[in-house]
Amino acid sequence: MPRYGIAIDTTKCIGCHACQVACQNHNQLDYNQRFNWILERDRGKYPSFDKEFVPVQCNHCEDAPCERVCPTAAIYTTAEGIVHIRSERCVGCKYCVEACPYKVRIVDHHKGIVTKCWLCIDMVRKGGEPACVTTCPNQVRIFGDLDDPNSKISRFIAEHRAQPLRPDLNTKPKIYYKRS
Amino acid sequence: MLENAWGWLIVAYLFLAGAGAGAFVAAVACDLLAPDWSKSLARAGSLASGPLVAVGTMCLVFDLEAGLWQPWRQLYLVSNLSSMISWGVIVLSLFIPVALLYAAALNDLTFVGRYAKKYVWHLEVAGSVLAVATAVYTGILIAVVNGVPFWNTPLMPVLFLASAVSTGLAVAMIGAAIIDITTIRTLSNFALGHVIFLAIEGVVLMLFIFMSLTRSVEAAVSANMMISGVLSPYFWLLVVVLGILVPFALSIVEYYEYGKMPKYLVVGADLLVLVGGMSLRGVIIFAASPPQIV
Repeated sequence: MPRYGIAIDTTKCIGCHACQVACQNHNQLDYNQRFNWILERDRGKYPSFDKEFVPVQCNHCEDAPCERVCPTAAIYTTAEGIVHIRSERCVGCKYCVEACPYKVRIVDHHKGIVTKCWLCIDMVRKGGEPACVTTCPNQVRIFGDLDDPNSKISRFIAEHRAQPLRPDLNTKPKIYYKRS
Repeated sequence: MLENAWGWLIVAYLFLAGAGAGAFVAAVACDLLAPDWSKSLARAGSLASGPLVAVGTMCLVFDLEAGLWQPWRQLYLVSNLSSMISWGVIVLSLFIPVALLYAAALNDLTFVGRYAKKYVWHLEVAGSVLAVATAVYTGILIAVVNGVPFWNTPLMPVLFLASAVSTGLAVAMIGAAIIDITTIRTLSNFALGHVIFLAIEGVVLMLFIFMSLTRSVEAAVSANMMISGVLSPYFWLLVVVLGILVPFALSIVEYYEYGKMPKYLVVGADLLVLVGGMSLRGVIIFAASPPQIV
């Protein structure tokens, strides 16, 4: 079984939000609901300022805090390593929203459940890639199998020493970032 | 997108479960330790504890969304024993019936009470363990959340237990005054309890704030929100001054002026403890700030 992840090159991101809109489109979300978005950070020192765009989404942590705190065991990890929600079991207690250190889970008030990025597993299982990856005009995102050392993503992570966000939180995320 | 997941219903639950569990402990303590004239305190505490925790649990249920509209989903709630909510469901569903039976036994309510009276000692032991578990659980519930570094400290259950005991004693004292206003003089004996538990609560709260300021950047952001930021008026006025300092001072006076203090000041001090307990939960929940990820 593959172990899917995404590598993100923030130095190429222009903050166009196409990934967010493609995701909302594919998952049929409301305009104010989103599974991924872009955080902005100013960095640098005069005269070389820089605005960094950091796309964030569910990190599909191997040691997922949300999975540990879910009282109904609605959250589970699929064979492909994707953290997924059994929506028919979710009661909407929002404990996972509080437990997620990356704050990338949202509450769907229509269905009364918590929902989030699922790496477009429907398209991936048919051999495709997630909507945010294919839509990105700058090829900021690389999708692939983290366990295959010859995959594009593994080579990218090795070459640029890409790191997850806050690896010190020990949740072992599967979204890697090249930030400089 | 970064909406506050938990709001007033959770605050109310944390407060009511703590106050109800504390009232049970106060009732047991009065029933075992104190002489006959304090029986109205034990009766009031036991009568209040079950319903308070039950109303708190209702708040939790109303905070659910799909689980509220489709109540059968709540059957899943005990599926994951690594989740504190699953443990909470177990503890609450054991504690509420025990507390109700204890109230029935102490107050001779119907045939249930007369039957339960034979087992009052068992109810006291089991209930006390469950009451402490309930109060501590409200703290652990948010202490294990690593998405909010401010809550993520072992001091949290200690602080909530201390607050639960002082609010529980306040509930029992107000209840005793309602049941039998002539006991208001004897309530002065219990003012010492307020002095002790409010002092413990104050010290733990101080430790919690000081340690949060240095523990991590995010915890310091939350702590600063409480001591000098947007929540500071509520924290200083409602939690510290009205919730701890004023009732602490009133209780000292009450203890030394045995029975001479005006009734409204005796009951007023207890009401202030309740305001402080609710506000403490409120500022802690609303001061939550997430880890800085970029």
